[in-house]
Amino acid sequence: MLTMQNVSMVYRTESVETHALRDFSLEVDEGEFVSVTGPSGSGKTTFLNIAGLLEEFTSGTYKLDGKDTNSLGDTERSRLRNEKIGFIFQSFNLIPELDIFDNVDVPLRYRGFNAAERKRRIDHVIDMVGLGSRKKHLPSQLSGGQQQRVAIARALAGEPRFLLADEPTGNLDSEMAESVMQLLEDINSKGTTIIMVTHEPNLAARAKRNIFVRDGRISTGEPELQVAVGG
Amino acid sequence: MELGPIWRALIRNKSSYILIALQIAATMALMVNAVSIIQERTRMMSRSSGTDEANIFQIYSMSFDPAQDYQAMVAADLDAIRGFPGVANAVVTNSLPLRQGGWSQDLKTEPGTDNEGSGVAIYFVDEHGVDTFGLNLVAGRNFEVTDVSWFDPDAGPRWPGLVIITEAMATELFPDARPADTVGKTAYIDNDIPVTIIGVLEKMQAPWKDWAGVERSMLVPMKRGDGFARYVIRAEPGYRDELIPQIEQMLAERDTGRVVDGAATMTEIRANAYLEDSAMIKLLVFIVSLLTAITSLGIVGLASFSVARRTKQIGTRRALGAPKAAILRYFMLENFLISSVGVVSGAVIAVGLNMWMVQRFNLTPISWYIIPVAMIALWLVGQCAVYGPARRASLVSPAIATRSV
Ligand SMILES: Nc1ncnc2c1ncn2[C@@H]1O[C@H](COP(=O)(O)OP(=O)(O)O)[C@@H](O)[C@H]1O
Ligand SMILES: [Mg+2]
Repeated sequence: MLTMQNVSMVYRTESVETHALRDFSLEVDEGEFVSVTGPSGSGKTTFLNIAGLLEEFTSGTYKLDGKDTNSLGDTERSRLRNEKIGFIFQSFNLIPELDIFDNVDVPLRYRGFNAAERKRRIDHVIDMVGLGSRKKHLPSQLSGGQQQRVAIARALAGEPRFLLADEPTGNLDSEMAESVMQLLEDINSKGTTIIMVTHEPNLAARAKRNIFVRDGRISTGEPELQVAVGG
Repeated sequence: MELGPIWRALIRNKSSYILIALQIAATMALMVNAVSIIQERTRMMSRSSGTDEANIFQIYSMSFDPAQDYQAMVAADLDAIRGFPGVANAVVTNSLPLRQGGWSQDLKTEPGTDNEGSGVAIYFVDEHGVDTFGLNLVAGRNFEVTDVSWFDPDAGPRWPGLVIITEAMATELFPDARPADTVGKTAYIDNDIPVTIIGVLEKMQAPWKDWAGVERSMLVPMKRGDGFARYVIRAEPGYRDELIPQIEQMLAERDTGRVVDGAATMTEIRANAYLEDSAMIKLLVFIVSLLTAITSLGIVGLASFSVARRTKQIGTRRALGAPKAAILRYFMLENFLISSVGVVSGAVIAVGLNMWMVQRFNLTPISWYIIPVAMIALWLVGQCAVYGPARRASLVSPAIATRSV
C-alpha cells in the first residue's frame, strides 16, 4: 500500500544542505506493523512526514495505494491525509483550548460528516481508548498517557487505513507507554497498517518488522545495532 | 461550519479577545452617533435657500453726507446696475438668506395684542425682488411699480398693505388652507395693521439657518433710501465673478464720496453660515477614520499574535486534513465572531448614547438603518484586517506538527 523508490530529501538553508533521506526505498503492505529505529537525526521523522504527505520530497517516487503522490496538489494531499492517514505525535498535539470531544472532532469536521455521524464516531473511539467519562475535559486536565490515548482516538476516528506514529511513547513513563503500545497492537490486529518510529528497542521488537535508518538510508541485517540505539 | 468549536475556543481564551471586542464596540458606538450627527448636519446644509445662489452676490454702499438725496442715489444706482452688461437683475434690500442677520416680526391672523403671532423674516424689495432672488412665485402676483414705496429711515416702515409670503408661512398662518388659497387673505403686523397676501412663494429661507422658522419669509414692497444701501445682484450665468469688481468700480466712480464694500457671493455667505457645521463634519470624519484605523491595526496585531502562538496547532490541523482554505476560514470566522460580539454590544451602546444625547443636546434620534450599515462596515473592516494574518496561517506547513516548536 506504500511504495517508496529512491526517495531523497535535501533541506537547504543559506549555508548548509542536509541530506535527510538518500535513495530511500521501502514497501509496506496492508496490515503490517513496522517499527522504525535509528539514531537521532538519521531521517526517521523526515521519512514519516513524507509517508504522511506532510512534506514534499526532492526526488524519487512515492506511491500511496498505487497513486503517485508527486502529482497531487495541496487540496488533494490534505484530503488523503484526512481520509487515509492517522497521525500520532510525540507531544500529542492536542488543541489546548478544545475539550476532548472537540479535539477528536477536528479531523471529522474536515471530512464533512454530519453532526450525528461525527458524534457516533467520537463516542465510539473515546470509549475505545477508555476515556468515555472525560469528554468534557480539557487536555491540560489529563495525564500524558491519557492525552496520547485521546490523540490515538482522534487519529482513529476517521477510520484510516494507515497509522503513522512518531515516537508515540517518547514523552510517557514505561507504564503509560505499555498501555499505548497495547492499544496500537490492538488496532493493528484489526487490520490497520502502522508505522511507528521509536527509540525503545523493546517496543520496536514487538513490531512484525523492523527498519533501521542511518544517515537517511535503510540499513539491513544489523539487528544488534538496534539494541545499541538510544536518544 | 465550525462555528461551535471556534466559539468555545474563544470563550476559553476570552481575556485575550475581550479588549478588541470592546474596542470594536466603542468604534461602533462612536461611528453610529457620528454618522447620525453628520447626516443631520448634511441635511441642514443641503436645504435650498429657494434662491438662485450660484449667480447672486451682494455689494453695499455707505454714504456719510447728510445733505445727499439718498432716494435719488439708490434709484440711479439701481438703473446703472440693471443696465450693466452681464447683470440679470438687481434690487436694494435689507438682507438675504443665510446672512445670519435680518429683520423679523410677528404676523397675526387676528388683530390685537392678546393673541399669539408667528415670527416671519422680512425682506424689503421692489418689483424686481422676486426675479433678482430667482424665487418661484406659485400663486398670486408679483408687486407692481405702483405698489412700492420708499422706506423712511427715521419714521420706520409705514406698512404698505400688500405682502408676498412663503408657502411655509402661509401654512403657519392658515394651517387648514392650501398655501395657494391664502392669496387674498389678510394678516396683521404691528398687532393691528392689516396686510393682504397677494402672492405665495414656493420657498425663500429666512436669514437665520438655525431658526426653527427658517422657511417663514415675507417680501414687503418698500425700498430703503438712506446712507446704507445693500444691493443684491443676480448675474447672467457665468458672469458673477467678473461682475463683482466691475460693479464695485462702477459704483465707486459714480460717487467718489462713498465707500463701496461688502462684496460677497451667496456661495460665500452659505459657506460662512455653515462653517461650524462643515468643521464639525470634518472633525467627526477624522475621528471615526482614526478610530477605525486604530481598531483595524489592533485586529491585525491580535490576529498576528494569535497565529504565531498557534503555529503548532495550525500545523496539526493541516496534518489532520485541513486544506489551506479551512485554516484561512478558521481565522476569518474567529474574527467574525469577535467582531459580532463587538458590533452587537456597540449597537446597544450606540442606541443608549444616542438616547442620552437626544435628551441632553436635543439631537435627532439615529435613523435605524445606520446600525446595520455600521455593523456591516465594521465586519468588513475586521475581515480585511484579519485577512493578512489568516493567509499567513494558511501557509503554515503541515510538517510543523512533527517538528518540535
Ligand atoms: N526543516 C528542516 N530544515 C533543515 N533541516 C532539517 C529540517 N528538518 C529536519 N532537518 C534535518 O534533517 C535531518 C533528519 O532529521 P529528522 O528526520 O528529524 O531525524 P530523526 O527524526 O531521525 O531524528 C537532521 O539532520 C535534521 O537536522
Ligand atoms: Mg524525529
